[in-house]
Amino acid sequence: MAKKLKAWQGWLIYGGSLVIVFVLGMIVTSLMERRSEVGSIFNNRRTPMSGIVTQNEKFKADFPNEYETWKATGNTDFKSEYNGNEANDDLESHPAEVILWAGYAFSRDYDSPRGHYHAIEDMRNTLRTGTPFTREENIQPGTCWTCKSPDVPRYMKEHGIANFYSAKWSDLGAEIVNPIGCSDCHDPADMKLRISRPALIEAFQRQGRDITKASQQEMRTLVCAQCHVEYFFKGDGKYLTFPWDKGLTVENIEAYYDSLNYFDYINPLSRTPILKAQHPGYETTRMGIHAQRGVSCADCHMPYKSEGGIKYSDHQIMSPLAHIDRTCQTCHRQDAEVLRQNVYDRQRKCEEIRARLEDELTKAHLEAQFAWNHGATEAEMKPVLQYIRQSQWRWDFGVASHGASFHAPQEITRILSNGLEKAMLARLVIAKVVAKHGFTDEIPLPDVSTKEKAQKYIGLDMNKLNADKKRFIETVIPKWINEAKSKGRLVQEI
Amino acid sequence: MNRIKVLIDWILPTYWLKITAIIMLGILTGFIILFMYLLRAQTYLANDPSACMNCHVMAPYYATWLHSSHGRDATCNDCHVPHQNFVKYWMFKGTDGMHHVYKLVTRQERNAIIASDGTREVIMGNCVRCHKQLTQEFVKDGRSDYMMTKIGEGKACWDCHRMVPHTQSRSLSATPGAIVPYPDSPSPEWLEKLFSKKQN
Repeated sequence: MAKKLKAWQGWLIYGGSLVIVFVLGMIVTSLMERRSEVGSIFNNRRTPMSGIVTQNEKFKADFPNEYETWKATGNTDFKSEYNGNEANDDLESHPAEVILWAGYAFSRDYDSPRGHYHAIEDMRNTLRTGTPFTREENIQPGTCWTCKSPDVPRYMKEHGIANFYSAKWSDLGAEIVNPIGCSDCHDPADMKLRISRPALIEAFQRQGRDITKASQQEMRTLVCAQCHVEYFFKGDGKYLTFPWDKGLTVENIEAYYDSLNYFDYINPLSRTPILKAQHPGYETTRMGIHAQRGVSCADCHMPYKSEGGIKYSDHQIMSPLAHIDRTCQTCHRQDAEVLRQNVYDRQRKCEEIRARLEDELTKAHLEAQFAWNHGATEAEMKPVLQYIRQSQWRWDFGVASHGASFHAPQEITRILSNGLEKAMLARLVIAKVVAKHGFTDEIPLPDVSTKEKAQKYIGLDMNKLNADKKRFIETVIPKWINEAKSKGRLVQEI
Repeated sequence: MNRIKVLIDWILPTYWLKITAIIMLGILTGFIILFMYLLRAQTYLANDPSACMNCHVMAPYYATWLHSSHGRDATCNDCHVPHQNFVKYWMFKGTDGMHHVYKLVTRQERNAIIASDGTREVIMGNCVRCHKQLTQEFVKDGRSDYMMTKIGEGKACWDCHRMVPHTQSRSLSATPGAIVPYPDSPSPEWLEKLFSKKQN
């Protein structure tokens, strides 16, 4: 017995459901429109970009705040007790380094590091890259450029990663022209953080880790870990490799190098195969309390800067001691000067051991030279060379990261103390060796107390090196710059 | 059971009416599910701060939180949702969330989003919850709750600690260029690819 539907009932159901569905649709549409507004954040660019944009000036219109503060990395106006953003002659202040790095380019020229803006300029000007007027005169491979410019990933994309590494340094002089900038850390399409250097990705892969799964906070450290790490150039192709396969501690990395029988150079005085450590910033910071609490590099070195009603990450990467109110005091409640002294306290303690180690290690090298000159045999000197290699590795690893004495003071003190032990063990063996060959007095050491004396002692003709470099800078560099400008790689000269 | 049958027969007497009703119900449910999908409602069941980034207006709050001292130790829920018990937690989360949806869908959010009194009570309660020893043993401010401070009985935590954690300028345009986890586009990638091929 079916009930019949009255007309008005039918219209009511029809109209009612029409209205309900319509209203629901409107709500859903409104929600969808709000979500799609996210697109306007990324589609708001005056200079839409994709891929790798190497000219940093192009980012100025869209990101004026970040661009201006990035440019400020060119300032050389800050000095803390041990560091700062000026380039100081480190061989002048630590002449022992000339002896320790004898036989290696660092004994010619080593300045304290300064801001990213100067990366290309400083690489061209340092004596360590030599004066390759012709291709054959190169003393460094193209790999040296890796950490200096967003032109590097561009070149790698165009010509291949291995070809970049195996080129000669001067081959790339007109290609690598823009200093460390935006595309090194950001994807220009949406400015998300991304890794641009293959070495870090490959190092992660060898450890079985996928770097693309890193969180935003981890990325704020990993973009720095592209370059502020220990590395070496592997094989004849000079392939940039991070020696982390056995782990990230100074001992693990040494074990990795030992398993390859690797050395960076042989010190001609003591004839030791030496490992050179380069700025192991990432590896050492991991062992300090700040990293262990989840603080990233950018938290202290790129803190928020408030200007009027807005705030943005300060891209003037420099010592956090210059802005303690924005860096330390975000989390720590103490007075700024108390915090400054806390930092210096830790650095001073590391410095204490460093000074002792440098002294003993220098003596070890010079005493070993004396032993060789007085008839010591290879078999007798084998343990000496082992100790000197281990001592210098620990010395270099402990001092090469200039912030590590604060980032991980206990680890650095531990490393330097172990290095000191190795240096003294070397000297102990040397004393026995020279005694066997009839010498039992205090070994006479040459006066290498200044940079000039030390460089003369190891046989460097500094006048010639400096004169050649000056000529190189005046003749070859302008050619590179002109070529880069004409090919559109360089917009603004540094 | 019989009563329900009688009721249904009274509302929807004919066969076709029943069919229509079922279809209408389907459409309604579909829209509700679509709504929940676009809302990314599933993210609200968890504790991940990126859930709050479902609405891009929250970008400055996410960014300031991430750069603050609380960035590693407290999530959004840790401060903005009461933690006394299970019921209070989920009731507040649900009603507050619905309020957010209402404001967003009707485009009524302020340029400088300010916490309501109810939220302020919750926040101050959570300040005291984590910093209990500090606020109740070392000083005495934690002995009051927010409503008491409104009548002058003590100070709210943020009367002095103004920058923690969202800093003082709190407008929607306070952090231009902040890199925050915006949600991906709701249309699936395969669909996007289909259209982009055609536009080529």
